[in-house]
Amino acid sequence: MILVPLLLSLAFQQPDGRLEGHVPAAALPGIQAAIAKAVQDSLPTEPLIEKALEGGAKGASADLIVSAVNTEAGRLRGARDLLRHAGAPAPYSARELVSVSIALARGVPEPVVTRVVSAVKDSLPGFALHAVADLQARGFQPDSSADLIIAAVGAGMSAHRLLDVAAAAEREVQRGSTRPQALARIKSILPAVPPQPLPPGAMQGAVRPRKPATP
Amino acid sequence: MKNELDPRIHRALDGELDPAALDAGERALVARLDALSRSLSAVPAGRSVAHRVMAAVRRPLATPIQRFRRWVTSPQPITVSLRPVYSLVIAVLLAALLWRTPEGPKPVLGAEEGVAQFVARFPEAHSVAVVGNFNDWRPGATPLSDDDHDGVWDARVILPAGQHEYMFVVDGERWVPDPMAGRYVDDDFGRQNAVLLVRPHRTQQ
Repeated sequence: MILVPLLLSLAFQQPDGRLEGHVPAAALPGIQAAIAKAVQDSLPTEPLIEKALEGGAKGASADLIVSAVNTEAGRLRGARDLLRHAGAPAPYSARELVSVSIALARGVPEPVVTRVVSAVKDSLPGFALHAVADLQARGFQPDSSADLIIAAVGAGMSAHRLLDVAAAAEREVQRGSTRPQALARIKSILPAVPPQPLPPGAMQGAVRPRKPATP
Repeated sequence: MKNELDPRIHRALDGELDPAALDAGERALVARLDALSRSLSAVPAGRSVAHRVMAAVRRPLATPIQRFRRWVTSPQPITVSLRPVYSLVIAVLLAALLWRTPEGPKPVLGAEEGVAQFVARFPEAHSVAVVGNFNDWRPGATPLSDDDHDGVWDARVILPAGQHEYMFVVDGERWVPDPMAGRYVDDDFGRQNAVLLVRPHRTQQ
């Protein structure tokens, strides 16, 4: 009898249940308004809650937290529009939207993101975008990087193995190749790119982070 | 000095001669020696070894439980005969067993989970924790450890596959982006978060 109302209250827990006590009270109305707008737009709300919690943990002011939450909502909207434009099938998960948003935040040009998303539309674009962003961060041209990653997808490599492609290109540069030579070399051996081995004992003692259940 | 016992007294002590056949002095000597023998040994005097052996033979057989208890509690000689080649194999196996690196329990991961290893060098730190969107940015939720006190802190964390933003919190108050991450995004609060991509465990193998 006591458990029923408790379980019901947990089931209908509002997002601010996680926020109260972790963000300034003055920020709550602004955050809730941003969340309500995201729900109206069929956008995921979890990234907004996480952004608010991040601001609270970092000691940011209420105004800055609300501003950051709205900025995050804007990025999610932009990511959704980009996915639509690229022809990716809706609905879009929080993971897809966040991966596009992070790729843009890491400086991958919007046309390159659109091209990659179009090429991998049957699977999650996160790994492909991450691989392109990694290559770009290591000095490779964004367009050429996208060409290599799209070629790897075309060669049948799974999304999770695309990071190995980026790492292999980086190793070619370390061996003395120029960046264009490295990209050409890796492209020529696709899909035979060696996987990156896990360090010994990498699984031992792994723990799950403590996090309240998502409302 | 010759110290021989009269054979008749000897036989009387062994129970082979009735003491009544002796004179009073001899009987007194036999009685003294018998008392002395009793005080020196719990073995009943006046009985020969043959008598005692026969008494043991005539004693009723012990029950299986008694025999088992006697076998368990009394010392038993154990002889192990091994061919040298078997000894060598056993020695090698034992050495391999001892040589093996001790391993902790392996966690059970879901299909869309992977393991992230966080490593950071903070020689002066008293505590280091990793915070990110995977633990609601709570500084105490995921501590790193430095068991050998070499200033290198580490933690292995099971996370959902995908991208995560994180920072380190040193001594509970200093927020530091992972200097080894190589991937960063602005955090909208004037700093940068490190970005981590977790691959599903089945593809990490």
